[in-house]
Order: sequence, then structure tokens, then C-alpha cells
Amino acid sequence: MNQHHRWTLVGLHWLTLLLIVAAYVIGSLLEDMTLSPLKLKLYAWHKWAGMTVLMLLPLRLLLRLSDRFDHATGLLPWEARASAAVHGALYLLMLVVPLLGWLQSSAAGFSVVWFGVLPLPDLVGKDKALADVFKELHEGSVNLLLTLVVLHAVAALYHQYVRHDGVLARMIPWLRSKS
Amino acid sequence: MKIWAVVLMCLALPALAQDWKLDPAKSQVRFVIKQMNVPTEGGFRRLVAHANFDPAKPESGRFRVDVDTASIDTGSAEGDDEVKRPAWFDTKNHPWASFIAKSVRRDAEGRYTAFGDLAIKGQSRPLAAPFTLTRHGAGWLAQGRFVLKRGSYGIGGGDWADVVADDLEVRFNLVLLP
Repeated sequence: MNQHHRWTLVGLHWLTLLLIVAAYVIGSLLEDMTLSPLKLKLYAWHKWAGMTVLMLLPLRLLLRLSDRFDHATGLLPWEARASAAVHGALYLLMLVVPLLGWLQSSAAGFSVVWFGVLPLPDLVGKDKALADVFKELHEGSVNLLLTLVVLHAVAALYHQYVRHDGVLARMIPWLRSKS
Repeated sequence: MKIWAVVLMCLALPALAQDWKLDPAKSQVRFVIKQMNVPTEGGFRRLVAHANFDPAKPESGRFRVDVDTASIDTGSAEGDDEVKRPAWFDTKNHPWASFIAKSVRRDAEGRYTAFGDLAIKGQSRPLAAPFTLTRHGAGWLAQGRFVLKRGSYGIGGGDWADVVADDLEVRFNLVLLP
């Protein structure tokens, strides 16, 4: 993988984290808010962040697949399997979580207009009961995503501070130049 | 002799005008307004209409539509509660919004424009509402849409102006039975 693509991959990794955290924090705030102009703005920002994660996903997958790095290097077979499983689950949830949010929006009768500019099609018709189901699934799946994000971060720190194998430096390039 | 036939017809016409009753189950007054640029549909659950016209000459008819502002449906319960407040429709003090047509112009076969006053929240402003009139069973279906400025009636000001568009489109389907 050339250096240019490498930087894109690293940049998108951190951008995605930022978007997920922002969407999660805003989403949690929305739970307890009563209707106000701010709430409608936060709803919009939450949806824009989530849809951006979804839209970046194909590009991220493409970069990941074109990356020739051997993710099993220096790992025990079970570690390699666990790593592949967590990475796979992270990508899957970055598809599922925003998709469930989009479905919830459609079912609730409030379409998503990405950044107030691009209207996204409604995935299902308006149906209050269905919106409640998607809301539960959206919340459940995001909790699973967050759990895996934490696990992913803990594993990275373990590689950096226990195994000293430079895995974290793949995503934080200045770590490499320091050591 | 021909001229007398026309005069007779004109004289006879007012007699053909009749009252038409609204079929509330099949009639709707709905609206689309953008919030954060997202088109959101809503409507009113209760409306009353008075129509007196001769189907052969609707342009000389009389039309009036009243909408129960508290019967608003914004698509969410908290939205419904919000827009009943004084900053919006102030439904306690202004329970009805009414449109009274002063004249009707015939634009084409089956197509008309009603000119009149639309009163919401105690403010009355002139409105031109184009509509079509088509046969609907034993009655008639009046169908049309027009654009309103929310701000000109003092509905939803303050911080809401940042997120809710000024323009909204009102769509009406009124089924009028003999």
C-alpha cells in the first residue's frame, strides 16, 4: 500500500472514531431532552454523523482490503482469530448501527437530509410501532459497537505497552518516529 | 329569442346553487414544512366547511373552511404539544383558523382559484388558493395547495426560526356531499 493510501486509511480511522463518539454523545443527550430548537439541531447532527460513518465505510473497506499488512504477524492462532473477529464485527456494526438509525428515522416519518443538502430515501414507510423496534435495535447495536471499540482500544494499548510490537504505531505514526 | 334564453338561464342559475356538506372522514387539510431542511408532514384532524355553489357555475359560489387548531397532528406527540403553545398557534386563545372565499375565478375547465381571507391566530391576510373541482360520487372533491409564510401569522418565532422554515405548503382535499 502506498504512503498516500496509508495516510487516508489512518485519517479515516480517527475520523470514524470522532464521528462515532460525537453521534453517541449527542444520541445519549437526545434521550432526556424535551422538544426544543436545539433538540432538532442535535437530531440532525446525530444523523449526519452516523450517515457519514456509513458513507465512509465502503472507502474504508476498500483501503483495508488493498492493505497488504499481515494482521496475524506475531500472534498466536487464537489471537489472530480474535483480532479478525473483532475487526470484522466492528466493520459490520459500522454498517448495521447507522442503517438501523436510518430505518428508525424512516419509520418515524422524519427523513434524513444529509447535512441539510442531500435527501436520503426513506427505507420503510411511516410506522410508529416499527420505529420503536428499530430504536431498540439501534440502541442495542450501538452499545455492542461501543463495547467492541473499547476492547479494540484495550488490545491496541496491550500491544503498545505489554508486547511492544509497534501495532499501535500503525494508527499513530508519530509513535514510531519517537521509539 | 336566443338572448332571452341566456337571460333566463342566468336568472335560473342562482336557484341551482345548493349547500354541500363536508365528509370529514374523507377530507383533509395537511401541510408540509421543513425543519432542519427535512420535509415533515402534518395535518389537522378536525375541520368544518361550508360550501354553497352551483356545480355548473362554482365561481359564483360561497366557500368557507374552518380548522380546529388544537386538532393538529405534527407526527409526534411532543410536536403536537409544542405547536399549541402561545409562540405557535396559541390554540387556547385562537381555537380556529378560517378561510373565507370572497370570490372564485374560473381558470380552466374544472380549475379555479379562490380569493379570500385566511385568518390564523387573530390575523387575517389575503390568500389566493387554486383548486380543482372534480366529481366524487354524488358530491364533489375540491383539491388544492398553496404556500404560506409561517412568520406572517406570528407562528413559531424566536429560536425556532433557525430550524423551522418560514414557508410551508398547505394541501387540502375536501369531499363535499349533497
